[in-house]
Amino acid sequence: MVSLINTVDTGHEDMIHNAVLDYYGLHLATCSSDGSVKVFDVKNGNQILIADLKGHQGPVWQVAWAHPKFGNLLASCSYDRKVIVWKEGAANEWTKFYEYNNHDSSVNSVAFAPAEYGLILACGSSDGSISILTCNIEYGVWDSKKISNAHTIGCNAISWCSSTVPEPAFDQRSSTRNTAVKRLASAGCDNCVKIWREDADRWVEENRLEGHSDWVRDVAWAPSIGLARSQIASASQDRHVIIWNSTDFTTWSSTILHTFDDVVWSVSWSMTGNILAVTGGDNKVTLWKENNENQWMCINDDAAATNAQTNEQRTL
Amino acid sequence: MSPTSESAAAGNNSIRGRERENAHIIQQSNKCYEHRELQATAMSVDYTGQWVLLAGRRHLALQRLGQDDGTLREFQRNSKYEVSAAEFATLPNRQEYCAIATSEHIDVVTWGAADMQHYHSLRGHTRMVTDIDWHSKNSNLLVSCSIDTFSHIWDLRDPRKPTLSLSAVCMSGATQVGFNRVSGHLLAAAHDGDLRIWDMRKGSCPVHYITAHLNRVHGINWSHLRETCLATASQDGTVKYFDVNNPRRAEKIITMSSPVWRARYTPIGNGLVSIVVPAMGRGENSLLLWSNNKQTDPVCSFVGHTDVILDFEWRPNRENTSEIELVTWSRDRSLRVWKIDDMMLKLCEPDFDSNEVCDTPDSFADTPTKFQPIHSSSLYQPTLSLTRAGAASLPSESSDSLTIPTLSRSPPPPMRKEETHIARSLTDQPTCSLHHEFSLLNRNMPHVEVDLLDAIKRFAVFKISAGGHVVVLQTVFPTEYPSPNIGPEFSFCEGTTLHEQLSAVLLKTLRTNALQRVKKSRTCVEQCLRALVGAMKKSVGGVTDKSQLRLQSPRLEGALSGALHDACIPYPRTSGVNFNTTGLLVTFAQAPNAKRLTLRHQNTTPRTFSAISGGVLLGNVFNTHRDSNASFYLQDRMSAKHTKNRSMQKQTNATPIVHIYEACKLLNISCEMAKEFSLDKRNLRATCRRNRQVCETYGRYDLVPIWTLAELIAKPNIPNETKYETLFYKDPFKKFLLEALIMHFASAGDLQTAVMLACLFHKCSSTAGDLGDLMLTTTQCYQHTNKLQQLNNTSPYHTVLPIDYHASHPKSNSALAVNVHLKQLRSNSWSDSLDWVDTKNCNSDSYSCSLIRRTKMPLFDHFKKVYADILFGWQLLTKRSLILKHTMFSQSQPHGVEFVTECTGCNKIKRTPSCTSCKRPVLFCQLCNLPVKGAANACLACGHGGHMVHMMQWFKKHSICASGCGCNCLKQTAALLALMN
Repeated sequence: MVSLINTVDTGHEDMIHNAVLDYYGLHLATCSSDGSVKVFDVKNGNQILIADLKGHQGPVWQVAWAHPKFGNLLASCSYDRKVIVWKEGAANEWTKFYEYNNHDSSVNSVAFAPAEYGLILACGSSDGSISILTCNIEYGVWDSKKISNAHTIGCNAISWCSSTVPEPAFDQRSSTRNTAVKRLASAGCDNCVKIWREDADRWVEENRLEGHSDWVRDVAWAPSIGLARSQIASASQDRHVIIWNSTDFTTWSSTILHTFDDVVWSVSWSMTGNILAVTGGDNKVTLWKENNENQWMCINDDAAATNAQTNEQRTL
Repeated sequence: MSPTSESAAAGNNSIRGRERENAHIIQQSNKCYEHRELQATAMSVDYTGQWVLLAGRRHLALQRLGQDDGTLREFQRNSKYEVSAAEFATLPNRQEYCAIATSEHIDVVTWGAADMQHYHSLRGHTRMVTDIDWHSKNSNLLVSCSIDTFSHIWDLRDPRKPTLSLSAVCMSGATQVGFNRVSGHLLAAAHDGDLRIWDMRKGSCPVHYITAHLNRVHGINWSHLRETCLATASQDGTVKYFDVNNPRRAEKIITMSSPVWRARYTPIGNGLVSIVVPAMGRGENSLLLWSNNKQTDPVCSFVGHTDVILDFEWRPNRENTSEIELVTWSRDRSLRVWKIDDMMLKLCEPDFDSNEVCDTPDSFADTPTKFQPIHSSSLYQPTLSLTRAGAASLPSESSDSLTIPTLSRSPPPPMRKEETHIARSLTDQPTCSLHHEFSLLNRNMPHVEVDLLDAIKRFAVFKISAGGHVVVLQTVFPTEYPSPNIGPEFSFCEGTTLHEQLSAVLLKTLRTNALQRVKKSRTCVEQCLRALVGAMKKSVGGVTDKSQLRLQSPRLEGALSGALHDACIPYPRTSGVNFNTTGLLVTFAQAPNAKRLTLRHQNTTPRTFSAISGGVLLGNVFNTHRDSNASFYLQDRMSAKHTKNRSMQKQTNATPIVHIYEACKLLNISCEMAKEFSLDKRNLRATCRRNRQVCETYGRYDLVPIWTLAELIAKPNIPNETKYETLFYKDPFKKFLLEALIMHFASAGDLQTAVMLACLFHKCSSTAGDLGDLMLTTTQCYQHTNKLQQLNNTSPYHTVLPIDYHASHPKSNSALAVNVHLKQLRSNSWSDSLDWVDTKNCNSDSYSCSLIRRTKMPLFDHFKKVYADILFGWQLLTKRSLILKHTMFSQSQPHGVEFVTECTGCNKIKRTPSCTSCKRPVLFCQLCNLPVKGAANACLACGHGGHMVHMMQWFKKHSICASGCGCNCLKQTAALLALMN
């Protein structure tokens, strides 16, 4: 079902914590505990290092690409409490575009908002706060808003709600107005997933999803294709992945996807929002799909095993 | 081993210095047991008071007390680790149970007749266990705390895992823990200088936070009588009494010259016993008994130990509860027993006649009678009635013990006032105090660098940089310091960047602060430095560096903060997975061996970063200089083992590999198929057949029947019927079948099929034709418009070209009534060939004859938009625009310039070529003076124009306006368009 098309040896000096392809799937960005962010050209099976970005003084936890309509922009967040937005000026020439220094602890997550809202970046930090950075593209000026104490102890992950999510009572006339309602989900050490809504200049907590019994490590809002339902996946230290469903943003029902062997810390939805990829402490990648009876099935059980084997063979 | 000679004097309570001039009692031990061979690090007295456990790395020894034979039972044990804590159960039904903590495990053992029996092993901590406490009401419960920051509550009935884990979200490990003795619900845990008070019924977060001490807390002890009171002993040389309901401020403070190791309430009476750890390992290793009412001088000191006292406990006397004994274990390897008699307890009682009582907030000076309950010290005042009631309900002997001293109580001895003298010599020794003050000085104060501390020459140099200034401060301490009115002398040295005026102000600040402290014979250096930093910051008008301040908030101060902070940072991901917008899947995973290295002591992945970043107490990883070759996580552990380090590096270097997978098949979406699919509407059935073939070619056999079905849907009901409108209009079954198909594929995740179906049957007016068809029929027209299209510089992918000209030339409109209307270029071309005037009307017609209901259109448009985004990611731009052509509503509002014209009949502004109300045309050509219905063009500057063909002919030869207004139309328009872009 999935075919390996490229293998990139990143050459990082330490563990890597995130690897993300850009919008077109042509560039790969990786970040590592060695404090660097690397960008590779992976077009047509290439593996050419085109940038080695050094600007962080600690492990870099996550990277995120902006929509290409804003140019080639890459955001990275690090243990050193900084968020850096990198920009490709001329071809393969990367410079620091913006640096945000307003967190008191490690910044664990960065995510760009859907492009329809403009160039907006959300950052979640271990100081418990969430920053929302908005760029005025014309002047290149950044404006920041902060949700302080969003999660006691710390915020571990951030995910935006896609802008195409329709309103509950589907009405075309109002939907153009309502797409402007920005929402984001955050996961934290208080065992909660929280949903935030922008309400006239302020971010308010719209909902709090309680279901995990330990730190929530990742949250992912499923991309919407227009159907009147929202789906959020959250992965936690308690070894559960929970799928949250809602049709109206007020009531959320939860389904435990699976209890894994080890902690789970990364979830990612496919672009049509029907397949979920999960990975955790055991380093196995599993893919999940909901069947017609609304049960979640792992669709790569044996594939995962072989993958892991080949991985091991490669690395040993 | 029998008690040594000292115990011979046991009966006569040794020397008791109760002479008039030395009212302070000096007590020697009643019994002494020497155990040279025992290297015990923990001690505990059992419930009966008969046995004392001495636990060490190699031995567990039980010493029998009470009987004179002094039996010692020894149990060998061989462990790599020291015993960090050992506690006998406190309740009779488990009196033989004992919990012994070694490294991260706790063993619960019982002492049988012959041998020790291992009962449980409590495993749950991940770092060294630092303290254990049994519940005072429920014999099954015990709590343990650990460097891993957790406090676990264990139930011996289910010892496999903690019944409750209290997660102190904090940067430092727990050093002490204690159950409340009265309620049993509360428990306190010490983390560095802070206390967290938990309620077992609400284990999610602490009920109170107390910032108790500036330095580490070594001892926590709950009051035996008042539920909310506890005493803490700290490295900073103080014992503080707290009421947890008032966590802001300590109720009382005892200040000592050395760090205080333990402070415990006396089980009866109103006293407290403390152990100090003398500075530099020298000095008196004394135990002091304090009255809870008087913090200035101790009531009694117990002398005899020659080395640091490691621990002490109360030996309960089950026969006579009014008599208590103190059991101490010292590093001099002797176990001593001290008797605390009535006299001493009486001295602990509040002293009504003494002047000092007036200092306490709730004094009893006005109480008419002396027969106050003994616990009614200021401390116990609020729960007075409660205490009494409690006392009454106790068994008779214990209530005796409470009431007898009260009744037999004589007026306090008059000599108390003179005790002050002795106490001073004990606590405030001037000779070592400077030494001591320096040793206690916080070297990590923000903005302050300690350059030099010389306790012998009695001076110190500090460098302070704050508020944009640098100050080099030299401080000289007179020999009398810190006695009243003699403070240190301050001066600014070379390197100070202050102007005269400011330095005078700062010096004054320093002196006043110093004097305030030394007036009470207290040390002052740290306070002075803090005051100086504050004053310097203020001097720049309060404009302080915000980020600086934030980083140095009190919580984060100190060298350990960086590493301690890691406790709230999640454990780094060693693997990851990520879908990209075009269906690519990126995965990575570190090699298992690299992971195991960091996790060797655990089965599951830890949650916090501190688990690998060198641990809580190992130091600040973030600030340590690191070898560029060494792994961030390996440096601490491996730095000592260079050879091993190299080999590890190779492995870790090889690991960071990222795999990219093509997951399109999984997602039911294919780039190749997207390229091949056709939306040709001239012959829907043929198109369906073609798409079916595409599915076959690419192996999507599941879709073959769907396209066959689609072909059937497209087939006219009546064979000769050629007009699709009526066909679709009349067939509700097909309508619902098609909608159901689209919805099924959309919700099943096959967006591509859903969108292709929705587009193919979107609007079915045969007249609209295919884009290619249109291109052919209107080629000529496009050739004409090409020039303009280039001028407009708009994307060729947009269905709606954003060149609707909004009224911008009222002048030209009113003056010449140039009736120019310029619609979108595309619709112009259409209107030329198909003679359409209003596309909207046509649209509404086509909706009615569409197979897709209008209510579903917006939803399907969403599908199309998402699919178009995916096509954009694949850079299939033509396909994308083709899909977007089939949407009803354009997402982006067209913006640009639009010409409006004024109807000559009604004088209303019109955007259409004719006025609907007056039924007259409003657009006239400048050249032929006839109304324009088709393509029109006009000059953006003067507003004159007309039929496109006429305009083109005119401007082939001329460059100025045909109306004769003199406008250089071509140039002006070009300039305006350039401006717009």
